[in-house]
Amino acid sequence: MMLEIRNLHANAGDTPILKGIDLDVAAGEVHAIMGPNGSGKSTLGNVLAGRPGYTITDGEARFEGKPLEGLEPEERAREGIFLAFQYPVEIPGVSNNYFLKASLNAIRRHRGLDELDAIDFLAFVREKMKIVEMPEDLMNRPVNVGFSGGEKKRNEILQMLLLEPKLCILDETDSGLDIDALRTVAGGVNALRSPERAMLMITHYQRLLDYIVPDHVHVLSDGRIVRSGGKELALELEERGYGWLTGEPERVGAS
Amino acid sequence: MLLGDECGAHTFPYLEVKNAESTVEHEATTSKIGEDQLFYCRQRGISEEDAISMIVNGFCKEVLRELPMEFAVEAQALLGVSLEGSVG
Repeated sequence: MMLEIRNLHANAGDTPILKGIDLDVAAGEVHAIMGPNGSGKSTLGNVLAGRPGYTITDGEARFEGKPLEGLEPEERAREGIFLAFQYPVEIPGVSNNYFLKASLNAIRRHRGLDELDAIDFLAFVREKMKIVEMPEDLMNRPVNVGFSGGEKKRNEILQMLLLEPKLCILDETDSGLDIDALRTVAGGVNALRSPERAMLMITHYQRLLDYIVPDHVHVLSDGRIVRSGGKELALELEERGYGWLTGEPERVGAS
Repeated sequence: MLLGDECGAHTFPYLEVKNAESTVEHEATTSKIGEDQLFYCRQRGISEEDAISMIVNGFCKEVLRELPMEFAVEAQALLGVSLEGSVG
């Protein structure tokens, strides 16, 4: 099993957010994590990627059999965990080209591969840029600075294509995308689907799942998985909303 | 730029105004290396030390470009020092 999550409890800062998650993700599978705002979806992604400020308080998460707790974010990344950010971060003064090359070479070193020089890197990145229809000038601009919402998300997927991670966590990758950009981004993600790779797609809406069809859908509510099913569960959610699974707070109070 | 955890910066705003009808303001801000920027780099496999140096270099690049060559070279060398534990 690539990713095993057992009774995972985690805090964001001092606030308990995840309250007992159990989830198995095998290589080759695509899982969608859905749920209302504040249910803990993004926290799950951040905990797995080791974001500072997010702490495991009980239970555990294992990646390829090894516990993630205690591993630095860069160690997790080098082992093959990739988080596509909901809000990609701007780094003024650092060109996208430089950043991506530094990132790729850090990962390649860890895998025991030779570092790519500027020429080989350019050839490699150009090939991947075509998949996400990324304009060349974005490589010479500072990382994400002045990028449109769609360009930022494309840049995330471009990085994923370059780094070829084992586990891709996509945090609300569809948010802020128009339909054309959504299609392009989904094309990039689908290009990475393979029997050796797993994906965890965190999304609020069903529409992304029209383009990237998941094998499993899980609904998160108040830090727990309240329902799991196949791709048809996403369609049911689209039709009925989340209320029937999460229980409206008012109804709980009245009963 | 402050290096090390035992230094600080203090500003003493002083404005000399000779026009009685003007409205003036003084503003100074300091910021820490963004936690989000740091995490972003590390999530891409870049070590913390390399990430700090990359972010600081980027931040300073625009300023260095304006400096005369001999200062720019020296400033660039200064940026090469270990930035571990920098506070802001």
